Amino acid sequence: MADKAFLFDTSRCSGCHACQIACKVWNELPSTLELNGNKWSGSHQNPPDVNGTTRLIMLYNEMENPAYTTTGEVSAQLATKRVKWAFGRRACQHCTDAPCSNICPAGAIFVDAETGLVTTDDSKCIGCQYCSAACPFEVPQYDEGTAVGTIQKCTGCVDRVHNGMKPACVSTCQPEALDFGDRDEMIKKAYERLEMLKARGYSDAMVYGEKEMGGLHVIQVLKYGAAAHGAVENPKVSPAVALAGVTKPLTGVVFPLCIVGFGVMTALAAGYKRDTLVYNTDTKDTIILETGEVAKTGTRPADTRGWTDAVFENLPFMAANRKKKGGE
Amino acid sequence: MTSHWCDFQNTDYILHCGSNSSENHPISSKWLNKAHERGAKWIVVDPRYTRTAELADIYCPIRSGTDIAFYGGMYHYIFENLIEPNLADYLKTGKRCDVYNFEYLLNYTNATYILDPEFEFDPETGLFSGFDPENEVYSNHSWHYETEEEIPWTEEQYPWAYKDNVPKFKKPTFEKPKRSMDLSHPRCVYQQMKKHYSRYDLDTVCSICGMDKDNLELVYKTYCESAAPDKTGMILYALGQTQHTYGAQNTRAMSVMQLLLGNIGIPGGGVNALRGEPNVQGATDMGMMVNEHPAYLKWANTTDRKSLAAWLESQTYSAGYYSNKPKFIVSSLKEWFGKNATLENDFGYDWWPKVPSTVGAQDWTHISTFELMDQGVIKGYFNWGMNPCHSAPNAAHVRRSMANLDWLVVADQVETESAGFWHAPDMNPKEIATEVYFLPCALIYEKPGTILNSGRWLQWRYEAVAPYDEAKTDLWMVDQIFTAVRDLYEAEGGANPEPITKAKWDYYVNGEISFYPVTWALNGYRVKTSTFEGNGGKGFKANGLDESGNIHCQLTPGQWGDGRTVVGAEKKGSLSEGKVDLLPGYADLAADGSTACAMWIYSGYYNNSEYPLNPAEQPVGRRILNDEEHGGLGLNPEWAFSWPSNRRILYNRNASDVNGQPWNEAKKLNRWDAKAKKWEIVDVNDFVATKTEADGTVTQVAPDPKNPNSFFMLWEQRARLESYGMADGPFPEFFEPFESPMDRNILNGSLHNPVAFGMSGASKYDSAKLDAVTGEEHDLKDFPIVATTYSVTEHWQTGGQSRSCPALLEAMPTQFVEMSYELAEELGIQNNDDVKVSSRRASVVVKALVTRRFAPFMVDGKVQHQVGLTHHFGFTHEFGQGDVVNDLTPNVGDPNSFTPEYKAFMVKIEKAHEGGVH
Repeated sequence: MADKAFLFDTSRCSGCHACQIACKVWNELPSTLELNGNKWSGSHQNPPDVNGTTRLIMLYNEMENPAYTTTGEVSAQLATKRVKWAFGRRACQHCTDAPCSNICPAGAIFVDAETGLVTTDDSKCIGCQYCSAACPFEVPQYDEGTAVGTIQKCTGCVDRVHNGMKPACVSTCQPEALDFGDRDEMIKKAYERLEMLKARGYSDAMVYGEKEMGGLHVIQVLKYGAAAHGAVENPKVSPAVALAGVTKPLTGVVFPLCIVGFGVMTALAAGYKRDTLVYNTDTKDTIILETGEVAKTGTRPADTRGWTDAVFENLPFMAANRKKKGGE
Repeated sequence: MTSHWCDFQNTDYILHCGSNSSENHPISSKWLNKAHERGAKWIVVDPRYTRTAELADIYCPIRSGTDIAFYGGMYHYIFENLIEPNLADYLKTGKRCDVYNFEYLLNYTNATYILDPEFEFDPETGLFSGFDPENEVYSNHSWHYETEEEIPWTEEQYPWAYKDNVPKFKKPTFEKPKRSMDLSHPRCVYQQMKKHYSRYDLDTVCSICGMDKDNLELVYKTYCESAAPDKTGMILYALGQTQHTYGAQNTRAMSVMQLLLGNIGIPGGGVNALRGEPNVQGATDMGMMVNEHPAYLKWANTTDRKSLAAWLESQTYSAGYYSNKPKFIVSSLKEWFGKNATLENDFGYDWWPKVPSTVGAQDWTHISTFELMDQGVIKGYFNWGMNPCHSAPNAAHVRRSMANLDWLVVADQVETESAGFWHAPDMNPKEIATEVYFLPCALIYEKPGTILNSGRWLQWRYEAVAPYDEAKTDLWMVDQIFTAVRDLYEAEGGANPEPITKAKWDYYVNGEISFYPVTWALNGYRVKTSTFEGNGGKGFKANGLDESGNIHCQLTPGQWGDGRTVVGAEKKGSLSEGKVDLLPGYADLAADGSTACAMWIYSGYYNNSEYPLNPAEQPVGRRILNDEEHGGLGLNPEWAFSWPSNRRILYNRNASDVNGQPWNEAKKLNRWDAKAKKWEIVDVNDFVATKTEADGTVTQVAPDPKNPNSFFMLWEQRARLESYGMADGPFPEFFEPFESPMDRNILNGSLHNPVAFGMSGASKYDSAKLDAVTGEEHDLKDFPIVATTYSVTEHWQTGGQSRSCPALLEAMPTQFVEMSYELAEELGIQNNDDVKVSSRRASVVVKALVTRRFAPFMVDGKVQHQVGLTHHFGFTHEFGQGDVVNDLTPNVGDPNSFTPEYKAFMVKIEKAHEGGVH
């Protein structure tokens, strides 16, 4: 089977939320049953982000249209629009170089050989959340205390795909903003759509996903450019994960470097701060990623500055991640 | 709609006005995207920048309730820019004009018809001729045409109507209208119209609607390009047009626009009402309104329809297809009263209740129902499939009225606000003596039957699962109630027992109530050769039915839409005892009692008498996609059944010119082959294409260029730019909503529609104006913000189903009021604040959604703010609750349809105190 991919065309998307709901329903992901238990985000984007029971959300980004004009001759149709309302789709991008799968110590996240989709085996997940920290898109989510209890991210519905069906979100998409098929074909379609949008006056329109992270298996046609639709510009594999990739064969079973989240650190009795911590199995140090401080000294104190600096520079998302978690 | 969903792909210009279809009818986007990618231009006119506006090319904001000014301005634009500059040349040369379809205007509409000399409109008063100030109603006498010649019916023309066994009635006379073929006569419809809309210039329209002039001109220019003979444009509308005190005139206004642009009856054209699922289209077809009989016939009343003869005389058209109405009504009576319906007793017509129709008579419409409860006139209420304590305007008033009932029966799937009205936050259960019965009913997937979409497609759905717990189908419940009531009448007698005791009620198979005989009744059958008990037969028996009395889901053989090839299974679904002789279609109906048919428009949808218990063997059960064999226009004639007669596009004669040649080869629905002397039919013809001679031979009817009769459902057989059929005027004229920020109407001397429903100062509907608690009438000036209501994709209407789905609540957890940054700043409101929104009738607390998608309007030189509220929450349900937004909306409405004015009213907004919504 050739590599498969999703195609998401924002210019066809009507922001109807059906994909999000279909994902929850097919995957039997629960929503709260408490009366008025959902806190409204203040926009159409609900829940505000992917979480331990939601693998896919629609994004709604409302911006001013700089081309909007109320006076003088309206030369272009789009100038009648005072708003750009960019709909986006936030879920796993199914990287070719998938850091989550590379770092997962349990084999719970892996690349499906038939399709190239990055899928999961919940029964193997140990909840370490290395994948969350490794993902440049901050996609894998783990919420303590939910009924699910494992890392959640889009599986590509490989269960459906292996049985000749399209993923749940695709099959429900009525405006046909979502498509699924051979990756090459999806890329071709995306560029055809891009040409149409450029002709219609969407000068910032672009195709996203062809080259990023070695090639994503979610190809997006972004009407207003990457940032507007919530796509990560120039996503990079964290050097930490890259290092993991290099050293994994050398060390065999044990990773030399692990990025761990709050939950696990609690278990280790070391995570008294809500920070992203890095554990170096060589030095046995536990390091606060944002500051480079050693939170817990290992048995062999060593110079850790060099590589933490490197990790840092390339991981702006880590700071964002911390802020978000701290705010909740 | 005159078109259908798949036809959206064929359009060149899309105009959304009063609809947000990408959000509220997501499937529309599938077909609209196809048109858009073919190069169609897409325009959205809406008070707020919607999800649909994001998909479109052009967005034009409009103040709620000012649509007729917008359409009137477009007519004016068409007259000034398309018709007048090119008319003389067209009349001289007869040459087809590139930018405007004169042939359509002159031959397919009533533009050339000369109006009565007394026809008049006075801008000073805002009144048309014929106004009766005392009763606040119009006489339409002066809105008719001048007659050139009176041509009475002849027996040769209509032999069936003169037969002895057909009820006697005075036969119609065709009043041939006088015409002005060059449109020069000052009283012809075109000239009267041009004069009428001369007031609707761009500046005036902008000032009323709060629009930018350049933007408006761009909208007009772009959409009016669809006037080119080879182009089509389509208007998509929904409740944003109909829910006004002039909602029916809004619908007329859109029809007139489409006629002026030559856009009706052609692929990619049409006047397309987008309806909801359960099920406005079905309710309209079935006549679920006081004045309507099933299948777009009129109910018996106390004036011009007080007897069968009176009905036949007032309703039978003098020409066109509705000359057949006697067949429809007699066949309906024959189904209603079976063997008790005879020629001698007017087929039981007098057993039908008569709607009071004298001037000033009490009406029994939706809004008035609750007034009558309030007055103690209505004491018991069956509330079936709706939730008026949430969805009716001035809903708090509805709840208070319900508390006056002795008993209330609610049939629904969940406890709605109507079922639980007595425990609403504003009610005191201790003071309410109403006895409430709740009948749990089967959900749509728990019973077989048809579903009807906005494109008039009837599609069969099988029972997917058995009804939950004690829930029963509606049919089962109706049968229980009907038979119990009938038994009581038979045992004890009572007032007027005949309508019940004489009714035909025999929809049983193996002695159990069954959906199948109902479908046969709707389709129609020959009485003599069918064994309905009510027609003297012995009923029906069948083998091999399941526990629910159904044939299990069987797939129709052939190539299915999803690529499957279904091989014909063993045929099943025959009757073991009894017989039903189903009619092929409504052409076989008779006016002599030999046929019975409850819904003439559905006739043909279920017509295979060999397997009457098997929908898969019926037109309604077809699921074959072979569109490419039928012109590739999305007609899909073998997918389900489209009423009438499986016709996919109504008025399709208009797709070709007077000689029967398509305007555009790519949009061909029919063509007259002059060489072969034969019609080539792509979509089932909506015109007379063939004629059956007395000896049974069928001959082709060549097009008559002088009388193309392309709208043959009207007696004129030409579409009405001007119409005498409306209660409130022959042309759509702009009026302000019942509640408006304006103290004058810029276009005429009447602020409101002079005959709007329920607005009269002395009327009994004053609750529309009153404070719910104090009963005082508030000054409207204290409510300075225009408001409207709308839905979100994630919820459905009053939320009975969607608030029962946790995932939907998670995606849209609350209702909100959308407002501009400018208004929010003025009011000191932040996004996500709890705010109190109040009208003259009530207050609700909702969340504030501050957005760029709303902006202040400049109306009559002043800044005017508008907001919009979603309305899906209420005080019942397990997972999500909120205030009832329809407590705010006024219980006034349209004088034709009695639809309430939900879509424009006045509010004030303030920050709510602590402890508002969640």
